[in-house]
Amino acid sequence: MKLNKKSILRAILFAILCIVGFTTLYPLIWMAYTSLKSNPEIIMSTFALPKTLHFENYVNAWKTANMGVYFSNSIFVCVASIILTIMVGSLAAFILAKFRFKGKKFVYSLFIVGMLIPMQAVLVPLFIQMRTLKLLDSPFSLILSYTAFGLTITIFILESFIKSFPDSIIEAGIMDGGEIRHIFLKMILPMSRPALATVIILNFLNNWKEFSFALIFISTDRKKTLPLGLYNFIGAYSSNYAELMAAMMIVSVPIIVLYLILQEQIINGMTAGAVKG
Amino acid sequence: MDIIFKNKRTIILGLLPALLIFCVIVVMPILRSFYYGFFQWNGLGEPIYIGFENFVDILTDKVFWSAFQNNLYIVVASVFGQIPIGLVIAIVLNKKLKSSSFFRTIFFLPMILSTVVVGLLWSTILNAQVGILNQFLKLIGLERLGQDWLGNPKIAMYTISVVIIWQFIGFYMIIFLAALQNIPTEIIEAADIDGAGELNKLIRITIPMIWDSIMAAVVLCIAGSMRTFDLVFVMTKGGPAHATELMATYMYNKTFEVYKYGYGSAVSLVIFVISFSFILISRKVMSKPEVV
Repeated sequence: MKLNKKSILRAILFAILCIVGFTTLYPLIWMAYTSLKSNPEIIMSTFALPKTLHFENYVNAWKTANMGVYFSNSIFVCVASIILTIMVGSLAAFILAKFRFKGKKFVYSLFIVGMLIPMQAVLVPLFIQMRTLKLLDSPFSLILSYTAFGLTITIFILESFIKSFPDSIIEAGIMDGGEIRHIFLKMILPMSRPALATVIILNFLNNWKEFSFALIFISTDRKKTLPLGLYNFIGAYSSNYAELMAAMMIVSVPIIVLYLILQEQIINGMTAGAVKG
Repeated sequence: MDIIFKNKRTIILGLLPALLIFCVIVVMPILRSFYYGFFQWNGLGEPIYIGFENFVDILTDKVFWSAFQNNLYIVVASVFGQIPIGLVIAIVLNKKLKSSSFFRTIFFLPMILSTVVVGLLWSTILNAQVGILNQFLKLIGLERLGQDWLGNPKIAMYTISVVIIWQFIGFYMIIFLAALQNIPTEIIEAADIDGAGELNKLIRITIPMIWDSIMAAVVLCIAGSMRTFDLVFVMTKGGPAHATELMATYMYNKTFEVYKYGYGSAVSLVIFVISFSFILISRKVMSKPEVV
């Protein structure tokens, strides 16, 4: 009797999972197959699978809707800001983890408080700041902003990782006559590889998705990043659902693939940073 | 070794680049917006000092207060939507079904998508003509429930809350799953030996054991919901007729649509103060250990 009750419970739980899972996954599956339908097909029968595969939706989105240009802009901005974040952030994390000086706690908390700053509250101030710096409508406005806001999580993760290295390793390096910058480049950085990987992935995801900063900084069409370029669809191609779906796939597929490959690192990184903050 | 680990030059050179970027991009703009909040400025001419006028205007603007209410609405909907659903899913997944890891992958998926994609995808799904939601209702014979989900001011806010919940469930599921896996199995086994029922175990053991994580999730959820901007901006821009206006869309519309930079700075400052106090208060309230 008891066993029976247990299996009924299991069945109910499994049913709940399936329903929630379906609600989560179906919109994305729908997006995927709708991106291969023609517009009349979409309007006539929303649910139906495509009769023939209209790959030209992707070609059109890539060329006429400029997704190709946005794609390379996104890559450039993402890569540049990650490189800058890692260079600047790992150095600061090393100093904060291993050196002893007055005001260390203050500097550390200054970076970490960044996690609490509501992003939308800095949009207008940052817009005015970028205007002063004459960086509006330049990719550097995005690179600097992504770096500044990425530093928080970068320093947080790297500092705690580097802290765990025994001082004796560094001391041994110095005994051997190494200079501190060589020790940083040849020992600390290679040893931090796992933490660096997490930080790179997290920053990549955040920058790839980012919309608000791009919205207020970038106005020239050929300088737009993917999310902002995608947003253009609302005005310009509002009834061209086929291309809209294809464009959305172009934005999403790279990060979905990345997610499927590096799932554990992505999930752990995204939640660890949030919980500790 | 002290000479090395206390070397001022290395310390300064090492911290300088990060501090410089952080101060110029994060700290300084916030301080400057304190300043511009007291000016009338269209972004072109000289700013004119007007004292507290901007702040008085904001706090007497009905639209701002309804935006504030909408922010609160999202906070409440998120706390009572994302957290319970995330918790239930985590509890189910923790039962070690064969398919657990598959479902875990799926539930977290919306978290990694760009908010613009989520917003546009759901706008299309909810679209009165081509959207699958109305079609689905028609299919199961509930056509009369069909709606212009985002166009009807009365229900637009509910619709948006559902989309927000959809996007973030996976995040809270992961937090709870991690907490559940930290519960020592001996405790559950001991309860099993004592013949405790599933529900009893859940209420008496599981929930109290992960209470700290639940509270941490509530704090995160409040902070996250106060930040909502992208999704609403993409889906409705705060409309129709300010029905889904949030503090952040209000700020955006005031600053970039009508070029009131001084006023926009003042709104930023108000948002900053409100969000920050929400976060701090929720941390204070929730961090009290309620279960020993």
